[in-house]
Amino acid sequence: MRLSKTISALFLSFVILFASLTQANAKRLHAAIADWTGGIITCEVAVGILEREMGYKIKQTVFPSGTGLWEAIAAGELDFACESWPSYAEADDVMFNEDLIYDGKVVKSYKGDGTVDLLGTTGIIGMSDYWIPRYAAEKFGIKTWRDLNKHKKEFATIETGGKGRLIGCPVAGWNCHDQKRLDLLGIDFQADELGTEAAAVAEAKAAYMRKEPFLLYLWSPHWFFGEFDMVGVGLPDYKTCAGDTFTEANNWKTCGTDGWPATGWDKDYTMNYGNPDTFAKPEHAKAKAFFERMKLDNLDQAKMLVEVDIKKRDVKEVVNEWLDNNPDKWKSWLPN
Amino acid sequence: MSSEVSSIQGKSISSKNIITYSLVLLTFLVALWLSFQSEGPSKMPKVVTDQFTFTAWVNEGEDYLKKNYRWITKIIASYIKNIYYFVEDFLLDSPWLLIAALIFLPCLIAGGLRLGLYSLFVIYFWGATGMWEPSLQTVALMGLSVLMCVVVGVTLGVMCSQSDRFENFMKPILDTMQVMPAFVYLFPALFFFGIGGAPAILATMIYSMPPIIRLTNTGIRQVSAETIESATSFGSSKLQLLFKIKIPLSLPSIMMGINQVIMMALALVVLACFIGAEGIGGQVWQAIRRLDVGWAMEGGLCILFMAIMFDRFSMSFSKTEQSLPSNVQKFYLLPQSWEKYLIARLIEKPLEFLSGLTNFVCINLTRSIAYVFEFCISLSNKNTARDIGEAITRRYYIIPSFILILAISFIDSYMISIGSFPEEWRLSIRQPISSAVDSLTVNPGFIAFTKALRGFVYLKLLRPLDIFLTHVPWWYTLGVFSAIGYFTVGIRFAIITALLLLFIGACGIWPQSMITLSSVLVSVALCFIIGVPLGIIASYNERFRNVQNVVLDAMQTLPYFCYLIPVLMFFGGGVVSAILATVIYSIPPIIRLTSLGLTQVSGTYSEVSRSFGGTLLQTLNKIKFPLAVPSLVIGFNQTVIMAFAMQIVTPLIGGKGLGLEVFNGLARSDTGRGLAAGIGIVLLAIIIDRISLAWTKKQREALGL
Repeated sequence: MRLSKTISALFLSFVILFASLTQANAKRLHAAIADWTGGIITCEVAVGILEREMGYKIKQTVFPSGTGLWEAIAAGELDFACESWPSYAEADDVMFNEDLIYDGKVVKSYKGDGTVDLLGTTGIIGMSDYWIPRYAAEKFGIKTWRDLNKHKKEFATIETGGKGRLIGCPVAGWNCHDQKRLDLLGIDFQADELGTEAAAVAEAKAAYMRKEPFLLYLWSPHWFFGEFDMVGVGLPDYKTCAGDTFTEANNWKTCGTDGWPATGWDKDYTMNYGNPDTFAKPEHAKAKAFFERMKLDNLDQAKMLVEVDIKKRDVKEVVNEWLDNNPDKWKSWLPN
Repeated sequence: MSSEVSSIQGKSISSKNIITYSLVLLTFLVALWLSFQSEGPSKMPKVVTDQFTFTAWVNEGEDYLKKNYRWITKIIASYIKNIYYFVEDFLLDSPWLLIAALIFLPCLIAGGLRLGLYSLFVIYFWGATGMWEPSLQTVALMGLSVLMCVVVGVTLGVMCSQSDRFENFMKPILDTMQVMPAFVYLFPALFFFGIGGAPAILATMIYSMPPIIRLTNTGIRQVSAETIESATSFGSSKLQLLFKIKIPLSLPSIMMGINQVIMMALALVVLACFIGAEGIGGQVWQAIRRLDVGWAMEGGLCILFMAIMFDRFSMSFSKTEQSLPSNVQKFYLLPQSWEKYLIARLIEKPLEFLSGLTNFVCINLTRSIAYVFEFCISLSNKNTARDIGEAITRRYYIIPSFILILAISFIDSYMISIGSFPEEWRLSIRQPISSAVDSLTVNPGFIAFTKALRGFVYLKLLRPLDIFLTHVPWWYTLGVFSAIGYFTVGIRFAIITALLLLFIGACGIWPQSMITLSSVLVSVALCFIIGVPLGIIASYNERFRNVQNVVLDAMQTLPYFCYLIPVLMFFGGGVVSAILATVIYSIPPIIRLTSLGLTQVSGTYSEVSRSFGGTLLQTLNKIKFPLAVPSLVIGFNQTVIMAFAMQIVTPLIGGKGLGLEVFNGLARSDTGRGLAAGIGIVLLAIIIDRISLAWTKKQREALGL
């Protein structure tokens, strides 16, 4: 008698538990929070619209970008992530099995196994380069990367000794291959990997405020360019490495100076990506349609970047303000 | 005669010392010569590293496990995840007053008015800084981990106490669990249990379970033989003995264990943001990413206050109630010793009245409820009715608490929605902290100082040591370490040391591990230079010691990557910043144990020394320090272990070495690479730990302590 009561009570509580869980799961998605501010803003725009207009509840988790993130999405731990930059996702070429289309044009085609779904471009077009402050460029007459070696002493720090220093790509998982590029181009600089965007930018900011010369890897759109006057060193134009591509999978084979990474970066049509099973479900069809239409402007992101990174405001607050003030810009992304 | 003997012994000791010193010097000179000979960083020959593809084996093994057994881990993970989401949803969706009551009332009941008010402050701080949700997520993660730790840990502890063989089997496992940096299994957990709550909880269990197993075991084993004998003579069976006598008697010890588990779980739950667990850790990490010192500080303080609250709460269970004579008026909030001040009495008077009133209401409310229950049940069974009535009356705090909580949730769902923490009560300390730090960052004098320090640490300490350690051939370093192991511990340990170092070399991470070693050595040296004087001052001045203890407590409870930002702001990203952050994190033990060691030297020794005319400095130098050496070495030992642990997060601000390898392994989802580097850190830590412990033991024996 007592046992059966206990069992039925247990059963009942389980029923309630699972009922509440399934109910809560109905319109839920799980997204990654990126590790650079631009990516966070783009994702926050998507999340804001999904939550406001389409009745979603989105759970967000901080996750470092890189191969680990792709695997987490492929495994279904996360449903989607935002603003992947194709140049930085080389080791993940195997994942998509679709064409990347921007403005009706195919800008890149992927022939992977389709374990990750390409949700569409974000609208942000990124560009990466090495930069020096204008005062340094004028003082030393540096026009291109070829002039860097002559002034490497000026760019040296106590840590690099006789070599110049590049404040390099902060995160190894981003696959910038800074040192490789410097070596291939014969620039006698040492790439310093500082671990986080914040560390790299703080270093550059401090150097700028002290009017010291420095060489910085950075991507645009970025708030740094709004605050400080920087000039690109004009790396050689992007060339693919024919035949043997330069990836981890083929043990970093390289075409020497004929192609990547002896060149600068390609123009990056950034994209959102997600778990194929999640977005194949009929209840998420509208969300998928939204991602196909989303097209955030570089300028809009740059404005929000300034609010967040310079004025130190909360990301959600800034994005909500933008959504409130610019409905004409994003209403057209909504699925019919 | 006897003086002659001792002088001969003294001579032989000093000549032995000379031999030892010259041997050490010689070893060093040979190493220096060798390091100048070598062209580049020393590495094991390619033949070995190419054959010993540990990284590839791990990755293959992981793939195999993933393919064939992942479904099991997935089921476990999904169960834990569902429970976690359930708790999290409950905490986040409930009205904030309900949560506040759920935290405040137990604190009030268990720890009195002081803890109750403190818990209200903590709750207010969470809400006011906008950390309400992350704080509750952290609480949920920690609560579940602690619950599972207690269930599993107490069971294992009881098993250990019942069987010596099982205890011997568990001991090395527990040792490993405590030394292994959590990052090493945090990432594999990610691959098997997915991201978020489930792997975080499991990793936390591994990290924080040892103390409760140990304390349960010792608690049960310490139950006095007489008690056991009398129980047996009354004819209790083995099981009865265990459950009715041994476990209840060892409850204080078990509660101590739970207290430690809570503190450790809290530390790890914060770290688990690296594998996607939500909570304050994630906030702090985002703050680091955006260089927002104020934000990180708020997060850190949330954790700190939470930790103190849970610590006091769980401590109040293991402490026995101290009873004052009833005619002495008891203070509720302020220390009893302040009774002589009028203001204190004025503050306490209304509190006394209030508490009397609450007691009166609670007791009468409970009595009337008990009476109703008793009456209803007595219709069927008189005896049970009396039992139940008594049981209710005894808990005269708990029943009203329940009623209050029910009332809140009733009001919320049927009358007015209370919702989440009111926005108007927001109070942010972000801005002032950030602007203070910003103004320091541009202060030319301060920057000149930081630059000078950076230059000194890098050029004078780190770079020479880096070059020296990486350039000395690996076989020479290995030989030196084994020799030290042989002289301090014994031949077995020497062989083990050699094997462990061979493993590191064969994994192809020798240069990185030497860089890690040099970072740790430089950090520890700096800790020593800064920490020992502070410890000496503290040993002479009690007020200084008290202030310092509070600061050190706070430093040890703050999540350790909180330190990264201010250091980063002042010193820029790079190796030196990594070292300074390590120093801040790992300095507390050395300060504490220096002051402890010096204060423990009994007064008689210094008295004697002073009566012989020794100056303060002489007493310190000749008497106190030699006697405090064992304590100092323990401090040194703990500092070294903590410095090794810190190596895992310093890559976030430009640290190099094995920590960076671990990070790169994660970023490229190369578990083998990360694991090899993680194991490398563990092995180095173990070797140095054992050597210094053995050395302490010898020192103690030599001093006859």
